[in-house]
Amino acid sequence: MSVAELEAREVGLEGPSSGLWSEAWRRLRHNPSAIVGFVMVGTFVFVALFAPLIATHDPLEQDLSLLNGGCCPGPSAEHWFGVDALGRDLFSRVVYGARYSLLIGVVSVAVGLSIGLLIGAIAGYAGGWVDSLLMRLMDIMLSIPGLLLAIGIVAALGPGLVQIMIAVGVTQIPIFARLLRGSILATKETDYILAARSVGIRGRVILSSHVIPNSISPVIVQGTLALATAIIDVAGLGFLGLGPQDPSTPEWGTMLTDTTRYLQTAPFLALIPGAAIVISVLGFNLIGDGLREALDPRFRGRA
Amino acid sequence: MLKFIVRRLLLLVPILIGLSFLVFIWIRALPGGPAEALLGERATPEAIAKIERDYGLNKPITVQYWDYVKTTATGDLGTSVTTRRAVTDELKQRFPATIELAIAAMLFSLLGIPLGFFAAKHYGKAIDSASLFVSLLGVSVPIFFLAILLKYVFAVQLGWLPTTGRVDARIDFDHPTNFYLLDSLWTGDFSIFWDCVKHLILPAIALGSIPLAIIARITRAAVLDVQNEDYVRVARAKGLSPREVDSRHVLRNALLPIITIIGLQTGLLLSGAVLTETVFAWPGIGTWLVDAIRSRNFPVLQGGILFVSVIFVLVNLAVDVTYAVVNPKIRVS
Repeated sequence: MSVAELEAREVGLEGPSSGLWSEAWRRLRHNPSAIVGFVMVGTFVFVALFAPLIATHDPLEQDLSLLNGGCCPGPSAEHWFGVDALGRDLFSRVVYGARYSLLIGVVSVAVGLSIGLLIGAIAGYAGGWVDSLLMRLMDIMLSIPGLLLAIGIVAALGPGLVQIMIAVGVTQIPIFARLLRGSILATKETDYILAARSVGIRGRVILSSHVIPNSISPVIVQGTLALATAIIDVAGLGFLGLGPQDPSTPEWGTMLTDTTRYLQTAPFLALIPGAAIVISVLGFNLIGDGLREALDPRFRGRA
Repeated sequence: MLKFIVRRLLLLVPILIGLSFLVFIWIRALPGGPAEALLGERATPEAIAKIERDYGLNKPITVQYWDYVKTTATGDLGTSVTTRRAVTDELKQRFPATIELAIAAMLFSLLGIPLGFFAAKHYGKAIDSASLFVSLLGVSVPIFFLAILLKYVFAVQLGWLPTTGRVDARIDFDHPTNFYLLDSLWTGDFSIFWDCVKHLILPAIALGSIPLAIIARITRAAVLDVQNEDYVRVARAKGLSPREVDSRHVLRNALLPIITIIGLQTGLLLSGAVLTETVFAWPGIGTWLVDAIRSRNFPVLQGGILFVSVIFVLVNLAVDVTYAVVNPKIRVS
């Protein structure tokens, strides 16, 4: 960037400032791929919330008489996405599956985010041996590949919905802890913190009203992307058979488990729940990328 | 440089101690305690007492940990509950299968570098947007779903490649190293080698696609970043051909973030291997661990997770050192 450009930008910044958040929101609204992401996630949340109204059948109801012609009847007027190997309506199962994926995704990210942020904030602000101890602890957690850590936790707690939420949440703790700590360390060194300190504001107030608000934007971006990862990881654990104890639960990953046997005769059994996972994950990723651009101060003042 | 490597090696010590402690504590934190976890439904009070005596579980916890560290250090990871074989023996058989798959996947994912470079060179054009979208899609597809898709198209529909396993069940050959590609070459029978390659292709593509998408994305960003640096402008100004500018200045400097990201992918590869192996019934560490969970085979889980994590830590060390060798900034300080 040339000097002239820099000056031009500085002049621009001196104008009436609209604030980081409203400007980020404005930029997000003008980002076409973020809009697509919002539409995808919006649909996903809508389907999850109103599943009983959208589903055309009971997702658990088995009608084995439908399988008389062999496994499995494909899409029809009565069963939009076809019927699975136990004679259940696939459309209704995919619709109800949105509930499980959304719930598990949000809860596990909430677990990882809250514990991770607490650890990161303590480490970043306390510094010294507390910081070293906590960060080495996070290093140890990161030294186990994510899915294996989750598998270990599920093996200890036993398979089940709550257990996979905890397992996926725990694998995300070190990511958030490191992120917030790094961000706090960078913020602590800035001039405005020095200014706040020099006029005698108390440490706790500086932390809550200056350091954390200024360190939080990477956490928001990571949180959105973590929702995408959580949905994928949960589906993976479900696929391995570590998810809900009751195998009839319409969780998307669990629904994919046995479908490889029917790839020849009924590929839609695998393709449709898989596509549902991809759409919801892609939505969160698009929003996350859009947020990253919108919140990045280097892009501020541009379109 | 040497100082950096030594320091990095020293940092490894607390990690390894912590890791072994975590794995040690984990098995003792199981509901009902380790003896009951091992026995499952056969847990009578007498049987539990016997296991506790055999495994030294009635000793103080610090003594137990020290015993655990000592036996682990000698390479003894216990005995599998289901097969009654030493965990290390099973590891020797399973690990090469996973490594063969992981290396093949890694090689495939390196195609992301030319892809990302190409996209950056056509910045803003349709091909660039298309590659961006594909790489975004790549990180949004669960690996096991991609594996199922590939299996459906290339094995079930087109019938080009086999659906499961490492080699055709009818082929029998010696495999001293358990790296089937090497072992089959050693037999001198090219048809066996070709069969092993065919079995490897789909799992490797499934496992390598997501890293490929990420590597392509990072390469594109790195090349775009470097392209506007002053030294690239100077190189151009002094009359170097575009190709020389690219190979000597742009690519070489863009390589730093690419190496970092390749290192980070190894964790993803090891995690992804568990899922890929399950889809293709690949007899590696992944299917081994998943079976171990189903049969509550805790010695296998404990040994397997510890082993894979140590490998992961060592790979990260190797990446850090490579990074230091390539990056002059670290080399000097």
